[in-house]
Amino acid sequence: MGVLTALLRVRGLTKTVGQGRAARRVLDRVELDVQAGELVAVVGSSGSGKSTLLHLAGGLDRADAGTIELAGERLDGRSERVLARLRARHVGFVFQAFHLVPELSGEENVRLAARFGAHGAQAPARVAALVDALGLRPVARSVPAQLSGGEQQRFAIARALVNDPALVLADEPTGNLDAESGAVVLALLRAATRDGRAVLVVTHDAAVTASADRVVTLRDGRLLCGER
Amino acid sequence: MRRALTRLRRERRRVLASALVTLAAALAVGVSTTVGYALATGYERAAQRSDQPDVLARFAPVRRSALDARLRRLPNVVRISYRGEVNRVGLAANGRSTRNGAVHIVHGGRRGYGVVAGHDLGSRSGEVLVERGVATAWGLRVGDELRIGGLGALRIAGVALSVDNVAFPLAAVPRVYVSAAEVGRRFGRERDPVVNVALLWLADPGRLDITLSAARPAIFGLRTEQLLTRRGVRQAIDQAAGVVIALLIVFGVVAAACAGAMLAAAADARVRRRAAVLGIERALGASRAQVVGDQALDAVLIAAPAAALGLTAGALLAIGPATTLLGFLNEVAPGAALLAPLAAAYTGLLAVVAAGAAWPAWQVTRRPIAALLRGGDLSPPTRRIRAGARPALLGARFATARRGRWLGSVVVLGVAIATVLLVLAVADLLVALRDDPGTLGRRYALTVTGDRSDLPAVRAVPGVAAADQRTTIEAADSFSLTEPLRVIAYRGDHVPFEAPPLQSGRRLRSAGEVEVGDGLADALGLRPGGQLALQPVNGRELRFRVVGVVRALENNGRVVYARSARFERDDPDLGGPIAVRLDAGADRGDVLRALAAAGFAGRASAGTTTSNRSFLGILATVLRTVALAIGLVCLAAITQALALTARDRRRALALLRAGGASRHTLGALLGGAAAAVLLPALAFALALERLVLGPIVARLTADYATLPLHPGGVGLAVVGGGLALAGTIAALAAARTATREPVATGLGRADG
Repeated sequence: MGVLTALLRVRGLTKTVGQGRAARRVLDRVELDVQAGELVAVVGSSGSGKSTLLHLAGGLDRADAGTIELAGERLDGRSERVLARLRARHVGFVFQAFHLVPELSGEENVRLAARFGAHGAQAPARVAALVDALGLRPVARSVPAQLSGGEQQRFAIARALVNDPALVLADEPTGNLDAESGAVVLALLRAATRDGRAVLVVTHDAAVTASADRVVTLRDGRLLCGER
Repeated sequence: MRRALTRLRRERRRVLASALVTLAAALAVGVSTTVGYALATGYERAAQRSDQPDVLARFAPVRRSALDARLRRLPNVVRISYRGEVNRVGLAANGRSTRNGAVHIVHGGRRGYGVVAGHDLGSRSGEVLVERGVATAWGLRVGDELRIGGLGALRIAGVALSVDNVAFPLAAVPRVYVSAAEVGRRFGRERDPVVNVALLWLADPGRLDITLSAARPAIFGLRTEQLLTRRGVRQAIDQAAGVVIALLIVFGVVAAACAGAMLAAAADARVRRRAAVLGIERALGASRAQVVGDQALDAVLIAAPAAALGLTAGALLAIGPATTLLGFLNEVAPGAALLAPLAAAYTGLLAVVAAGAAWPAWQVTRRPIAALLRGGDLSPPTRRIRAGARPALLGARFATARRGRWLGSVVVLGVAIATVLLVLAVADLLVALRDDPGTLGRRYALTVTGDRSDLPAVRAVPGVAAADQRTTIEAADSFSLTEPLRVIAYRGDHVPFEAPPLQSGRRLRSAGEVEVGDGLADALGLRPGGQLALQPVNGRELRFRVVGVVRALENNGRVVYARSARFERDDPDLGGPIAVRLDAGADRGDVLRALAAAGFAGRASAGTTTSNRSFLGILATVLRTVALAIGLVCLAAITQALALTARDRRRALALLRAGGASRHTLGALLGGAAAAVLLPALAFALALERLVLGPIVARLTADYATLPLHPGGVGLAVVGGGLALAGTIAALAAARTATREPVATGLGRADG
């Protein structure tokens, strides 16, 4: 592991969902640092707040209290426009259900994300390079319905990486895949950290936790830290 | 039912949203039903209310006994009443006055008018009835005093409605009724009074032709000034406002179609959002029919109160303006009779909602239950789009993904836009008719009072290029006496003075030839080469060879252009104003002054209906308002279409936002979706207007003439700009809504 700097810094993060009697605190004063080049796995039972933490860390949702600092910039209290810019520049997402746009080919899904990044004229070359690097060239022109789950997730990873984000947030990236495809995806995420990226993975997959630099556990909204 | 109500209680926000869409649609349907029904049936109601005679005949003054002896012999006549009509009488009341009033002296029998306030003329002295239009325009009430030249002050006993003309002030002459007894009290009672109006009621109105044929020899020798049938009256009223009535009815149909499509789309979206729930119901053992029935019932339960409220509100909104317009036309508002069409509209709305929910539910439940349980409501496409990854093109693809809904939106919007184009074209035409006599091919700029002996003197006035006597003769077709027509006759060639565009054939060259207006050609099936047999109101039958058919608006296109020579043989005193065409560049005012100096009273020629100039302006304004209203319906339709697209593609939009897409990018995407609907809708509208609606409405509005109802450049620019604005507003609104919710919510987050 290279020199570690706190790329993601979370302090006192609190989030409640529901209202009135149905209100439930899913995150309770969570503190977390993720360093550049680190792969951190977040585990916990269903409803423990794992995905909520991921969404807040990526600026997809707003916390009730606490601060989030990403690459030196505070996310809390920012406008939607600023959050969009920060996401485009610093964050890549990988979802369990892939979430590819069904009408676009795999490569076009990657290209769509590249429109929001800072690569400009180099974007097409960057997209092509990623598609090649991930071994997706033979199916680059296929739409998601024609792709296997593993192929779809590899395109999703290419999409997440296309803008060179500092932080990759992955929500159960192997949850819908067989063991072999899961291993490929995990290897890609692991490889992403070698370029100095941080990867925060929510998972139930033992293979992922085994590969992570650090595993943290969420229980009843509280983070129990563990160091590998 | 109880289960459905429970289900709906749990989904209050969605229920409220669906109810609001239904409310908006029902409001539009309520307005259109009220306006359409009120205007479409106003004339018949008024005719019934006023006991309108089947024939109204105006003669030169004649003793009642002499006239009665002739009319009694007519077949098919069951009742005859007589009136004495005195024109150019001074009337004054409530600070208003005129010297152009008409007093109808009523000689007992059936009235031919209806009393809509107060009571009828009876044995009491000093009473008068005023026409509804006069009462409205002058602010008169029952009990007020009205001064009549020669009769003095009379008390207004009631307000009368008759439908032999449009209402004052649209009709230039205010009319009042007094009893013959009242006149007798002032001037002495006559045993055999002089009358000039006869009202005839027929046993079988369908056999009017027979009665009119027999009337010709029966009234021979009497100078007949007007023979007005019910159909003729209807045409006269339509001439004043037929264009607007027809278009308002068209507007009603368009608004109802748009509302129906909006409702169906909303119901469809609601069902598709619940695809996973439907899957669960199916997995638990519910049959397709049960699931479909539940969805239809849910939708109807939501729509029923909202539709009732919307229809009521729409009817209340529209009934006031509709009644005012009907008042202009001497027609009657529908009152309680409106409940029947509103009830039908209510049933129709609920049927659309039920079908809008049932059909997609039927479609959705055809899919495998396992697929439904996964919650996807769109079949994943297996074909890549060529658009690439540009947001606007992706938006276009999103909009067209649901082929049925997209086509429905395109058709609904296309029809609405075509109607807007049409309405604007008619408004432009009305303004042109008001301001520019040339629109009708009229080339003479002035008319001068005089006879044919004055022609040389008029022609000698500086600035006058040509002058000829213009004679108009009221007549009927000899074979179909219910078809009234107007002959416009010049001593020489009529083309220098008025040259209505030739539709077919050629210009007339001799006294035995005529050109006919296309309204008449349509009514009688006339073509160049055919023969027209004319029966002038006074005079014997004349036959002409039809050599041309022209576009004409005057008298609904029921005109005949002829030379006056053959008419003068029967009536050497045949007169009419002198039409004056000016030299190129001559100033009309200068020529008018020169004519006055030469002893001639001249006046400027205007459009088709000089007396209706202000009304034409009002109609044009009403039409442009209607166009704006339809434009707003378009805006609502495109906004809803985009909202549905954004809702369907909520996850894709959230995904773009997660990747850093700004609101502007979403705006561009949704703008692309709007363009994918609006551009084909505009193309469809242009074709529809040019090929179908324009020609149909031109005939419909005219019974008339076939008018060139095509939008001009300004109209097209206004519509195109309006659509661009509507698309932009709708896209920005949908983008704003889409960016309001947290990205995580759009991604279908499950807390875990």
